[in-house]
Amino acid sequence: MAVLKAVHYINQFYAGLGGEAMADIGLHILEEKKGPAIGLEKLWNGEMEVVKIIVCGDNFINNDDNFLNIIPDIKEIINQEKPDVFIAGPAFNAGRYGVACAKLCDYVRKELGIPSVTAMWHENPAVDMYVKDNYIVSTSETAVGMTKSLPMLAKLSLKLAKKESVGPSRFEGYLRTGHRYNEYHEKTGAERVVDLLLNKLNNKPYKTEIPLRGFETVTPASKATALKDATIALVTTGGLVPMGNPDKIKQAFAVTYGKYDIEGVDSLNKGIYESIHGGYDTTFATNDPHRLIPLDEMRMLEKEGLIGGIYKYFFSTCGVGTNIESSKDMGRRIAADLKNAGVSAAILTST
Amino acid sequence: MKLTRQYFNIKDVLWGDTTSLSDGVLTLCREDMKAEVTTLFKAVEDVDFEIVKPGENTRIIHLLDTLQPMYKVRGNGMQYSGFFGSPITVGEGVTNLLTGITVMESAALPWEESSASSGLLYPRDAIMDMAGPIADFTPFKDTLNLVILYKLAENKSSIEYDNDIRLIAIKISTYIASLTKELVPDESICYTIDEINPELPNVVLVWQCQNQGPYANTFLYGQSIDNLVPTLLHPNELLDGCVVSGNYVWPAFKVPTYLHANHPIVMELYKNHGKTLNFRGIIFCRSHNPSTWHKERCANFNVKLARYLNAKGIIMAWEGGGNAAVDGMLTIQCAEKNGIKASTITFEFGGIDGTEGILLVDDVPEADAIISGGSIEKHYKLPEVVRVVGGDVLRLNKESGGYFPPSDKAIEFENTTHLYLAGNQTGHSRLFAEAY
Repeated sequence: MAVLKAVHYINQFYAGLGGEAMADIGLHILEEKKGPAIGLEKLWNGEMEVVKIIVCGDNFINNDDNFLNIIPDIKEIINQEKPDVFIAGPAFNAGRYGVACAKLCDYVRKELGIPSVTAMWHENPAVDMYVKDNYIVSTSETAVGMTKSLPMLAKLSLKLAKKESVGPSRFEGYLRTGHRYNEYHEKTGAERVVDLLLNKLNNKPYKTEIPLRGFETVTPASKATALKDATIALVTTGGLVPMGNPDKIKQAFAVTYGKYDIEGVDSLNKGIYESIHGGYDTTFATNDPHRLIPLDEMRMLEKEGLIGGIYKYFFSTCGVGTNIESSKDMGRRIAADLKNAGVSAAILTST
Repeated sequence: MKLTRQYFNIKDVLWGDTTSLSDGVLTLCREDMKAEVTTLFKAVEDVDFEIVKPGENTRIIHLLDTLQPMYKVRGNGMQYSGFFGSPITVGEGVTNLLTGITVMESAALPWEESSASSGLLYPRDAIMDMAGPIADFTPFKDTLNLVILYKLAENKSSIEYDNDIRLIAIKISTYIASLTKELVPDESICYTIDEINPELPNVVLVWQCQNQGPYANTFLYGQSIDNLVPTLLHPNELLDGCVVSGNYVWPAFKVPTYLHANHPIVMELYKNHGKTLNFRGIIFCRSHNPSTWHKERCANFNVKLARYLNAKGIIMAWEGGGNAAVDGMLTIQCAEKNGIKASTITFEFGGIDGTEGILLVDDVPEADAIISGGSIEKHYKLPEVVRVVGGDVLRLNKESGGYFPPSDKAIEFENTTHLYLAGNQTGHSRLFAEAY
């Protein structure tokens, strides 16, 4: 079998051209083996060799114009060499180097159709930017861990070059891409949840299977003033809809909302509206829809002149098991609609 | 407290003219079983039975609950204490169990307004297949399943249907387990946590069960857990059936009585007791606490009890979806703030490939040890099956007017919410979302 071919990208430092002082140098092509390529070839045991090493200074390549300018050269090298895999790094915790490695891998994989892999520390800023679509092998924080970090990179790059199917993150050593599929683990959930706790209790390394993504903070809207001139909108996530749910809003995991005309209507009567929400006992809400959309009280305030008016539609969806992205999308669309209509404040009831 | 469980392995079930158990073969007589329960017929008019065996190309639908047949032969109280008689504390003495067989309830509970149609309070069709792509979601693909089919009387309330269905199933499971009275068990295991090793960390399970009213309920010693503040259970009480399910709302997340009585995490903690940890008990509480105030009280009480037990670690586990996750996460946060380490297990979201939206409805920064029970947002295509037990049609999408496809045909689901036990929150299965 012919020896497989890899093209390797490294920065000026690993190419032996110099440190920070040489970070502005442009594209260089090395014919002789330098840096991590030597270690990788040993690990490949003759199955693959590095046929070209591409080098750029970290500052140079992180300039967008420079990057665009070298792209034709990169493309030419790849087309000439026809490598089985493109490798970049390891970049460890070097931010500029990491971004260059990941960006090149992303380009070569996506645009030139060559399997690509890089390697870096999991907190390298490039990880968040590129991990979703690229294989990034996990390494130590600094180059002190080079010998420990190379075997995983060697193994995965060889696998990619051979076009073998790539297994899960925990077996292959790359950082989780966020792609998750239902499979069967070697152990039951009960065994794993006890193991995980024991590792925690015994101060051993442990890893959560579900990473936390955290919630962003939402700044509350400023206080509504000049109420007597304000048009107020009524919005609910409590699932109030006209009887029969004409818009077929989902009872849970909703992705749509309804917009219902209440112009000239003084109260929302039982039998005309109902709640279809899938997450609470809706008996009371259906018996008196004002528990969700307090139109009756708002009409009184309107008559008394305390508020300028009530927006002629109310909005409704079911807030239960709702995907955050869908919630944001619905929220943005409702807010845009209200803004267009000159609404100055809204009451949102949740359940 | 010591409980000896005597296990009787059931190798096969046959229909016969008399009811008997010999050499692991259970012979059942329909008339005998019916005679056991006719006095309970009020909201139920009649019952019939079906046997489903492992490896069969069979689908079971309208599945309400699954029970562990057991019969208490020595010690205080009885199996499933509190339903027939006083709620005497169980967990000591000797209990006989049939293994390799379950008792299942199947009924198409009415969707009409008079019974239950309000929001959550409607029974969603639970579906399990004995073979094929979803078979491994439940442990019951490997067991013989005696399915009770209920013919319901008309115009009864949800509470009446619910009650009678459950009592009949407990009675049937007791009846078949009582056949072991004079027999020698295949295996006998003594469960006790009396002795502790001071070198090992104390660990408790916080077991939080669904409670939102009829059809979304859990029973402790025969009573709904509506007003329950967290309480302490000896694991043997659970093993003897002190917790019984009455939950039919989300088939993927509900926990059958069988898994309360053989709680996989309890069994795992028992296995580790005295070796890697000291199992100190179960803090039992309700989920779906109605307000933040109630949720915070529940979390604080859970942790207070854990501290009384000198727990160094808790496993937080819950039944139910988003609302319950909020309760569970608050307990984890409260525990970690009090120096008690926590791990947990939950189903996740994430869409088809895991990258859509978020994975959990709620999380706290302290929850850094979460086991995946699998994603519910995956597509599954159920193949056509040879036999269906429970009914000719599935009942789906009530909120959109209802959809009633034939139950034996192939059908595709966008998510797993209708698939029995797909949420895997007791850790019974190996299903999880693998990270790529």
